[in-house]
Amino acid sequence: MTLAGALTSRRRLSSRSLLAIALGAALFLVSLGLAVMNERAVQAEAVRQANVQARILAGSVAAPLAFDDSDSAQGYLDALRANPAVEAAGAYDAAGRPVARFLSSGRAAPDHSAVGPPAIAGGRVVVTAPAVQGTTAMGSVYLRVRTEGLSGRALRYFPIGAVVLMSSLLVAMLGASNAAIRDAHRRLREEVAEREKAQEALRQAQKMEAMGQLTGGVAHDFNNLLMVASSGLDLMDRSADPVRRERIKQGIRQAIDRGANLTQQLLSFSRKAPLKSEVVDLTAGLAGLRTVLDRTLREDITVSIEADPGLWPVELDPTQFEVALINIAVNARDAMANGGMIRITARNVEASLDGRDAVLVSVTDTGEGIAPETLPRVFEPFFTTKAVGKGTGLGLSQVYGFARASGGEVRAESQVGEGTTVTLVLPRSDKAAAAAPAVRPAEPRDAHGRRHVLLVEDDDRVAEWVGEMLVELGYDYVRAATASGALDQLGSGQAFDIVFSDMVMPGEMSGLELARAIARSRPNLPVLLTTGYSTSAEAATAEGLPLLLKPYRIEALAQELQTALQGGPSVRR
Amino acid sequence: MAVLAARAPPRRKGRPPAVHVAAAALLAAAAGLPAGQAGAQGAVEYAVKANYLYKFGPFVGWPPRAFHSPAAPFVVCVVGSDPFGPTLDEAVRGQTVEGRAVRVRRLAAVSADDGCNVAYIGRSQAQSPAEAMRQLRDAPVLTVTDQSAGVDGGIVHFVVREGRVRFTLSLSAARASGLVLSSKLITLAVAVEGGS
Repeated sequence: MTLAGALTSRRRLSSRSLLAIALGAALFLVSLGLAVMNERAVQAEAVRQANVQARILAGSVAAPLAFDDSDSAQGYLDALRANPAVEAAGAYDAAGRPVARFLSSGRAAPDHSAVGPPAIAGGRVVVTAPAVQGTTAMGSVYLRVRTEGLSGRALRYFPIGAVVLMSSLLVAMLGASNAAIRDAHRRLREEVAEREKAQEALRQAQKMEAMGQLTGGVAHDFNNLLMVASSGLDLMDRSADPVRRERIKQGIRQAIDRGANLTQQLLSFSRKAPLKSEVVDLTAGLAGLRTVLDRTLREDITVSIEADPGLWPVELDPTQFEVALINIAVNARDAMANGGMIRITARNVEASLDGRDAVLVSVTDTGEGIAPETLPRVFEPFFTTKAVGKGTGLGLSQVYGFARASGGEVRAESQVGEGTTVTLVLPRSDKAAAAAPAVRPAEPRDAHGRRHVLLVEDDDRVAEWVGEMLVELGYDYVRAATASGALDQLGSGQAFDIVFSDMVMPGEMSGLELARAIARSRPNLPVLLTTGYSTSAEAATAEGLPLLLKPYRIEALAQELQTALQGGPSVRR
Repeated sequence: MAVLAARAPPRRKGRPPAVHVAAAALLAAAAGLPAGQAGAQGAVEYAVKANYLYKFGPFVGWPPRAFHSPAAPFVVCVVGSDPFGPTLDEAVRGQTVEGRAVRVRRLAAVSADDGCNVAYIGRSQAQSPAEAMRQLRDAPVLTVTDQSAGVDGGIVHFVVREGRVRFTLSLSAARASGLVLSSKLITLAVAVEGGS
């Protein structure tokens, strides 16, 4: 908790205490008011009773007063002895002289009558009443009555006092417990905040460690690939044998493919690479995989691929599928330091994925296996048991990401010393598999037999090579280095069939903005965007613009240009 | 006695002047009461009796015929020789009975038509006490006789006991007159005749 937070909390706490105090005070005031009202009621009742008694007495002594019979009057007064509350009484004739008096305690009744309103003083009520017979005044009586003894009053106030006391205690206890709870809550929040901070620090540390591993692994892999490419080029220079040159060329190509795969894995891991799903028949895909695996794995490892006939079609990104299998196979290879066997099987299993049909592709090795405590973590990103520089920890996490993105899942089973089986569970698609896309040459249509491409690319070398590819595919091209340059070209009057533009370029306008500008001014001119930058790729796909992800091969370029020219949106890497 | 009278409280609003027996006695003495009842003792006695006469009124249940009209006063009659003199007029001044003003009438002879409510029967040249009593026997009139005057037979009969003015009651006579005597009054009587 921050200092400001603590202060706020304390202020709130004190306001709560104030509320409790105010509540207690209100309680006290209310009970005080009740007591006063009660006291008044009791006094009024005492006065009323004394008045009644005085009137009865007055009625009784009216005749003795009328005829000066002091003995009778005295008899009536003496009868008051039965009431211990009566302290003194007097009966007075019409002239106001006392005819009879009674005294049990305190001061005697006055020597002369004075009829007046009731008086209350010192816990005593003094009442007077005229003695009247009919309408004829015969005299008056005086009566002094003790209202209530101390014990009587205490007895009366005890319940109220007890209630007030208990209520006040209750309020105080509630206030105290509330304060205690708030304090505990504040401490808990502080602890939670500290724990979160510690966890954040731990996460940061883990991330740094992962970054170190990743950097090492990626650098290692890239160095290897660059080594292959570099040495291949050297060897090609020294060799005139076409067969050998072809083999070297294939090696270089393979290295470049793996490099592309590596960056794909990074993008896939960061969930930035859009998947391009198609409905495919895995039988063909698995057959093509053999050559790739033969090159990737060592010679002491035997690969067998068994696909059940009639596999159901599945909907996935074929490239990612390939990458996922290579990743699993590479892990299997690394688990078999002394060679072994990798068995890849594919079979239909009904209701194996939350009740849905699925195609299960399993990769089983005869390696050292994975320890049970490690098994649950193998799909975590950056988790690796390999030494720094030997692996990125991204391989199996790509497998996991791919399986999830394809609507399926991945399962791993392992027996230490026996081997490991990783199974991709891919949901059956109810669509029919599309035929493998054929690479078709561009179909020139204009007078010169060629189409015109406006190539927008800031990098000279990339522009040069892409230009070569365009020419190879039968296109003419004009290059612009910036988006504004491209607009100048478009405004120069030359006709273009398509604009093929990079997305991230120097200058005020990006490729995306260029595409928007063209869509406004020339809605019929198709634009194909290309980028190797995932954020840009997301922006383009979000707007439904055709996109070709770098690096791409000439076949993909041909395909995408064709599609864009025919007006179909597409994303192709 | 004079000192006591001087110390009497001031008159209170709406109330009659307090009639002090001592003062009444002094007044009676000054007025020169008839022979036979002469002396301070006799004067005090008649002052007390004068004070009592109208006070019987509230302790009697009166039949409606006792009053000629709602506004009719409460009439105290003195038949024959008057032993009270101005003392009686002084005693009744400002007093009410049953909400009626109290008047004093002095008569030589009495009849049922004289409108008396209380009739003190004394000796009279014009009418013997017995005749007066007979006249009033069935009338709603509270007859009062006085032992000291040598007359008896009234519903109320004054006697003196232990130096105090007391009275006896005749319930049969009261019944004959259609009067109901209050139990409060009956308890104060030294003797009651004709109780049921």
